Amino acid sequence: MNKVRKNKLAIFVFLLPAVLLFAGIIIIPIFCSGYYSLLDWDGITEGIFVGLENYKTLFTSKTSGFSKSVVHMLMLAVGAVFIQLPFALFLALGLAKGMKGERFFVTVFFIPVLLSTVVIGQLWIKIYNPDYGVVNSVLRMLGLDSWCHTWLGEKSTVMWAVFIPIIWQYVGYHMLLMYAGIKSINSELREAAYIDGATYVQTCFYILIPLLKPVLRVCLIFGVTGAFKSFDMIYVLTNGGPAHASEVPSTLMFTNIFMKNKYGAGSAIAIFIIVICFATAILIKKVFKVEGEEKTA
Amino acid sequence: MKRKAALLLTLALSATSILTASASEGDQKTITMWTIATEGDANHEAFGKAIEEYEAEHPDIHIEMEAFENESYKTKIKASVAANELPDIYFTWGGGFSSAFVEAGKAMELDSYYETYKEELPESTLKYATYNDKLYGIPYVVSISGIFYNKAMFAEYNLEEPKTWDELIEVCQTFLDNGITPFGVSVKEAWVMAMFNDALTLKCVGDEKINAAFTRSGQSYLEDGFLDAAEKLEQLITMGAFSESAAGISNDEAVAAFTTGTVPMFVTGAWLEGSILSADNPDDFGFMPFPVCSENAQITDSMGGSADMLMVNPGTENPDEAATAAFEIAKLVSKYGYMSGAGIAAWKVDYEMENQSAISKTMSDCINESSSLTVWSGSLMEAEDYTEYQALLQQFFVGDLNAEDFVEAMDAQLNQ
Repeated sequence: MNKVRKNKLAIFVFLLPAVLLFAGIIIIPIFCSGYYSLLDWDGITEGIFVGLENYKTLFTSKTSGFSKSVVHMLMLAVGAVFIQLPFALFLALGLAKGMKGERFFVTVFFIPVLLSTVVIGQLWIKIYNPDYGVVNSVLRMLGLDSWCHTWLGEKSTVMWAVFIPIIWQYVGYHMLLMYAGIKSINSELREAAYIDGATYVQTCFYILIPLLKPVLRVCLIFGVTGAFKSFDMIYVLTNGGPAHASEVPSTLMFTNIFMKNKYGAGSAIAIFIIVICFATAILIKKVFKVEGEEKTA
Repeated sequence: MKRKAALLLTLALSATSILTASASEGDQKTITMWTIATEGDANHEAFGKAIEEYEAEHPDIHIEMEAFENESYKTKIKASVAANELPDIYFTWGGGFSSAFVEAGKAMELDSYYETYKEELPESTLKYATYNDKLYGIPYVVSISGIFYNKAMFAEYNLEEPKTWDELIEVCQTFLDNGITPFGVSVKEAWVMAMFNDALTLKCVGDEKINAAFTRSGQSYLEDGFLDAAEKLEQLITMGAFSESAAGISNDEAVAAFTTGTVPMFVTGAWLEGSILSADNPDDFGFMPFPVCSENAQITDSMGGSADMLMVNPGTENPDEAATAAFEIAKLVSKYGYMSGAGIAAWKVDYEMENQSAISKTMSDCINESSSLTVWSGSLMEAEDYTEYQALLQQFFVGDLNAEDFVEAMDAQLNQ
């Protein structure tokens, strides 16, 4: 084994395919985007170098809707951290306690993750339909006509209407990660706590959740960066509308590149998303690591 | 005897198969073509028939057509132009949409080939296929937009086709008084709203000004006519002429409300005919031009024209074959598309029309009588302007902007 490790050529040869793939598919495009973001380019004719002009207009223009989109992105992230993850944890702890039909429920909660977002999106469009959608129909049945809204068409409701399917869709994903994490915790610890007279709630808070920290950290990173990158569901439901009321940076990027032919401005948004995702992932890792080290010390 | 016959038959069969094989492998040239004639597209059948007929007449040429879905094709064609991966013949939209292709030298100049077809393809249809006085595209369909309306609902309330703005407002008010939303529209898919506003603006400012403004030809959007159009739209929105839920429903949902008789009027292009013909009661529906809203326009000024067209890739290996095939196929699609009700023929009609629907007849007459045809903003404007126009219309509809804000924002976009 040591011999192999010392053989630089072998290391090089075995790593090469992965490095090539990773560089070709991820690293190089990122640098290309970085370069494009400095151009005024329509994607077809020759681009003109404009320096940081695209970034400047992005952050200063009032009509681009970028500032609004960043606020929405942060709202989504907050929703992911404070609604989606606690709910997923609650489900995971509940299921891991051992109940009838445990496996069945794990599968059921995971189904939305397996379905195509476009399918789920179409489903929710029907649910929200102002005329025959389930939401308004139920409200009308209860005599609450004044509560009826065009859920995806009003500025005041659209963000919430988009929130719910996004959070709902990925609850199952986080739940599965956490559920697997809990199941891998040594059952002797739980039994010991049980013998000492701890209730299940106490076991959760003092044993399971602290031991689940590495999984929670992963979930947190996925949840937050997922919220930052969210595109598909919003694209299907509202395409950022009405009037930018549900716009997030990635839908704005799509509009800029493919609708307005502004590859430069679109690439600038892409770089913004990449930077903020990286920064958050590193930040979360750092914050959690420090705490973990303190505990073990 | 039987055996001999069988042997002969086998020989004959194998001989023909060898012969056809050698014919197809010999000098046959393959021309690749991209269109949006997917199975759901109105022109799917027309393209199929056209290619079949063309190949039968030209056994040495094989047309290989690939069809893509409309919206995704817009992205695909732009990416392919940039990557230099175009087929020999490609479908595109004339006017602003393809101007970048022509500038980048990705469309073949077709003037010399057009000479042959001058008699059959009227010059009036080439407005949006011509860039810098040179022809680059071959149209096959003429379209028109206007008000599709439900005759039965009009009859129920004793209403006539409105010819002026005041009459239109009266019609709307009558429907509103009876608890009916007058116009179906989708603001979520803002191009539908744009079709409406295009028609309204045209009838307020006239064809020259709307053309100049939408193509960035130095026309100020702050002029009275444009403000008048915006105020008229505001009036309609405020009076409730559009459903409040329009910002949340798609075009399909809005069209369904029209074809099922929930709303009496819908402003869009000739393609709505397909949905109407498949409704339960197609005879209930009619077509009329958008009413005149000022002295600047006449009732015969319409939004429409020939924006759908075929272009030829200048990098093709067989330029002559590709260009001729593009003209011939466009001609055949024009014919078969017209006969199947997919659109109005751009090429001269020298054949008998059977079973033409009443609505198609009306639209065809409107096109023939039109004093001007201006293609809608989606084709006329450059991509960036069109996207902003749609975003502004959405903001206008939900009340973020008033008429003056809208006009100012449009002027800022179009005259930066």
